Amino acid sequence: MAEKRKYKKRYCKYCESKVDFIDYKDTGTLKFSLSERYKIMPRRLTGNCKRHQDMITIAIKRSRAAALIPYTVTRKAVITNPFEGL
Amino acid sequence: MRHYENLVIVKPTLTEEELKAQLASIEEVLTSNGATIVAREDKGIKKLAYQIEKNARGYIYVMYYTMEPSSIAEVERRFKINEELLRYVTIKYDSNREIKAFNDLVAKANKKIAAAAAVAEAKVEAEAKVEAKVEAETVAAPVADKTEEATS
Repeated sequence: MAEKRKYKKRYCKYCESKVDFIDYKDTGTLKFSLSERYKIMPRRLTGNCKRHQDMITIAIKRSRAAALIPYTVTRKAVITNPFEGL
Repeated sequence: MRHYENLVIVKPTLTEEELKAQLASIEEVLTSNGATIVAREDKGIKKLAYQIEKNARGYIYVMYYTMEPSSIAEVERRFKINEELLRYVTIKYDSNREIKAFNDLVAKANKKIAAAAAVAEAKVEAEAKVEAKVEAETVAAPVADKTEEATS
């Protein structure tokens, strides 16, 4: 398994589709870089390039401020499906 | 002049008229500070990702405008005073890349509005057509009755 991952080619999804700007209101594209607890996924797992990772971080932080994406998901306040109806 | 975008979350408890007045007053805050609003996006009442002032829902309204950078502090001050606003997010579009994205977003928002207007127009037309059809049928019906009587 480890050997397999070693040779897996990682690429930046956003570079491939030539994204120039990431809109914070478009939660669909941000979902890719979020974990199930709505943490920002690190670059080593998603394979994003530095430039796009910076854009994503800014967009995610903006949409958190605008209450489009939760800051945290705890066991007490579980959000069943925050992307529903967005 | 610089390009800005403002997302505003209004309390969902307002009635329709109050909401309209509120949105007008929000736009007035911008225009009185020398802003020209290029596009508006009405997202309606949406579920928020977390509660703000114990509100689980909020009316989301987005405005795209150009304004002098010096008056943005005044706009934010006015938004802060307004108690009907749950949240405001101001975004600056500065670099060439961002301004291009801004123009795309404006075009998208305007297109959406145009599409909605077209749909509404089509609906009105369809209703008119249905009415015309009903009228035609009511005219045609007595004739059909007569023919039936004749055959029987």
